[in-house]
Amino acid sequence: MLNNTKCECGHQNPVGTVLCEACGLPVQQEMLESDQPLEMRYEGAARRSQKSNPNILDRVWNFFSSVKVAVYLIIITLIVSIFGTILPQENVIPSLDPPAYYAEQYGWFGELYHKLGLSDTFGSWWYKILVLMIAASLIICSLDRVIPLYKALSRQQAKKHETFLRRQKVLYEGSVSNADEWLERMEQALRSRHYRLTRDGHALLGEKHRFSRWGPYINHVGLIILLGALLTRGIPGWYMAQNVVVNEGETVPVPGTPYYIQNIQFTEIKEIGPHVSGQQFQFAFETEAVLYRCVDNCNNPLQKPVLEEVKRHTIKPNEPLEYEGYSFYQIDYNFNLRPMHMTLTLQNANEETIGDLPIDLNNPETSYAVGDMRIELTGYYADLTSENGVPASKSRVPNNPAFIFDVTHADGTTESYFVVPFEQFQTRLKGTGDVAGLSFELTDMEVSRYTSYLLVRVEKALTFILAGALIFLFGVVIGVYWQHRRIWVRIDGERLIVAAHTNKNWFGLRQELAKILTKTGVETDANSLDNYGVTKQ
Amino acid sequence: MVMARKKWVQVSILIVLIAATAYTIGTNLSAGSAMPKVGDKAPNFQLYDMDGNLHELKDYLGKPVVVNFWGSFCPPCVRELPLIQEKYEDYMESELVVLGVNIGESMVAIQHFLSDKHVTFPILLDKDIVRRQYGVKDYPTTFFIDAAGTIKQIIVGEMSVGGHPSLDLDIAIRRLLYG
Repeated sequence: MLNNTKCECGHQNPVGTVLCEACGLPVQQEMLESDQPLEMRYEGAARRSQKSNPNILDRVWNFFSSVKVAVYLIIITLIVSIFGTILPQENVIPSLDPPAYYAEQYGWFGELYHKLGLSDTFGSWWYKILVLMIAASLIICSLDRVIPLYKALSRQQAKKHETFLRRQKVLYEGSVSNADEWLERMEQALRSRHYRLTRDGHALLGEKHRFSRWGPYINHVGLIILLGALLTRGIPGWYMAQNVVVNEGETVPVPGTPYYIQNIQFTEIKEIGPHVSGQQFQFAFETEAVLYRCVDNCNNPLQKPVLEEVKRHTIKPNEPLEYEGYSFYQIDYNFNLRPMHMTLTLQNANEETIGDLPIDLNNPETSYAVGDMRIELTGYYADLTSENGVPASKSRVPNNPAFIFDVTHADGTTESYFVVPFEQFQTRLKGTGDVAGLSFELTDMEVSRYTSYLLVRVEKALTFILAGALIFLFGVVIGVYWQHRRIWVRIDGERLIVAAHTNKNWFGLRQELAKILTKTGVETDANSLDNYGVTKQ
Repeated sequence: MVMARKKWVQVSILIVLIAATAYTIGTNLSAGSAMPKVGDKAPNFQLYDMDGNLHELKDYLGKPVVVNFWGSFCPPCVRELPLIQEKYEDYMESELVVLGVNIGESMVAIQHFLSDKHVTFPILLDKDIVRRQYGVKDYPTTFFIDAAGTIKQIIVGEMSVGGHPSLDLDIAIRRLLYG
């Protein structure tokens, strides 16, 4: 059955229109006969999604264009997010084995929490689906409404049907003797209040601050940009937050990047003295760091990487080393004595010094040339201990380093030594030639006193996140601090009808209209303009 | 005409949303968890061995692989090494691949350690990268990966034969080979 949507003014309206696009007369009989104020939402224009025979595409569109659905989605996301804050999430627990950790720390509740997936609420796929659904709803709700609204507001005409005017929430009815003269005064009064005027014979439309209507749609655009920016975190190289542990004097690779970071020196400053906050002591800590880029032999444990210095900076909390999108933050430190480097001085049988052996305890070289000898490091125990009488290493940390040196003299004789510097122990294992042999003496040592913890961050999406947030704020501001106001005037003979509409702040509108009308010689006040007594603002 | 254009807009928006969803879910599911569990795909890695040859786990697809994380400072790792070597030789015909991933020791230390031991399977040198990838925090930890690249079993602790079945190397290898 065909629905007749042609208005008596002659304009053909699309299906679903509430108020005639041209003259404003209600299209549906029901609305026409009611005495309630007109439904002015979206100017009474048909929303894009209302259709008679929805196919699957339309059904999906209709689902997401519903504000009710959007509100439900937001409430569900809110409740789920609350659950996600009850226990610490997986990305901050000090454990690589989440199921065990939650069971141990929080008992049956923790176990259940983990099983339900709540221990990784914000990273889970179902949470991301919720967020994506909200994004879909944002886009589709907005599009569904803003396009008809824009079209309606652009095409509106000054002359509206009497019924339209009489059913507005702000109304004045009276009479004027001289229409043109009165309209002159009305136009002047409206202009002084910054209204833009459209004149159509004895009909007048004054409109101002239409831009404020776009506020909500602009802030939706901002939110969509924000959500999109957060999605981009998944792009490889756009997001990183990892910890790097560097001992003093050490240079370590930064995993997943071509960079190496060196801790030259760590300083901890502890001062007893008053602080503005009233604290009794204050302390600061910083790492003097150098950032290198690896140009050759990277990831090859058999060869030393070739490094090129790119940046130097003293990293303090909140003062990161920044380079090419990477930021190195100081987040923690530990007092941790650890030998890094030692120098053994060789003396011959006559106690004459032959030369020095500089040894990197974390990555020792295998070949050394001292004097006219060639020395090969063929055995290394970082942390010497005895396992059933056999030398072994307790750990990788060089707390008690022990070495086996194979020495080849200029004359071809060879000998081997086992040296444990911290125990001041050495023994000649085997050799040809003189028995008296060499002695190795520990003459210098570099010890790392502190372990510095740095956080490496990459956040390429930040500009977009900020852009989205700023656009959102802009949309909110123009939507909240300004209101869209329209005043219609219609004179038929001597009969005057003045009606007005706004999206917010009806009381302000009535006050303004009262002032305007007073200027034209019509005495009235804000309250008497209230047509239905329902507008409380 | 207006209807056609409207439909076009609707379709393209929904396509973009579906693509975004697929991308998000895809990256979520493929992103590895802290420690790969039995049934997960074994994370790929590239490590050099003692002779300077590069080994990539992907290259061994089609063969069963045993990845053993060890260090010379770890007595149980040292104790089980001869057993691993024995089983490596026993199952060589079945094309069993054994990779010994050393956890961050210097070449010198490893070379010296192995100099008086008979180890013929590749020893790979890891500088904390693969260890972290595999979530290994106790040593020794051994991963049993099937020919399709899926982790079939993880044994944490010293392996033996004839002892506790959950630590039995022979049973684990046979399960890996014959299902």
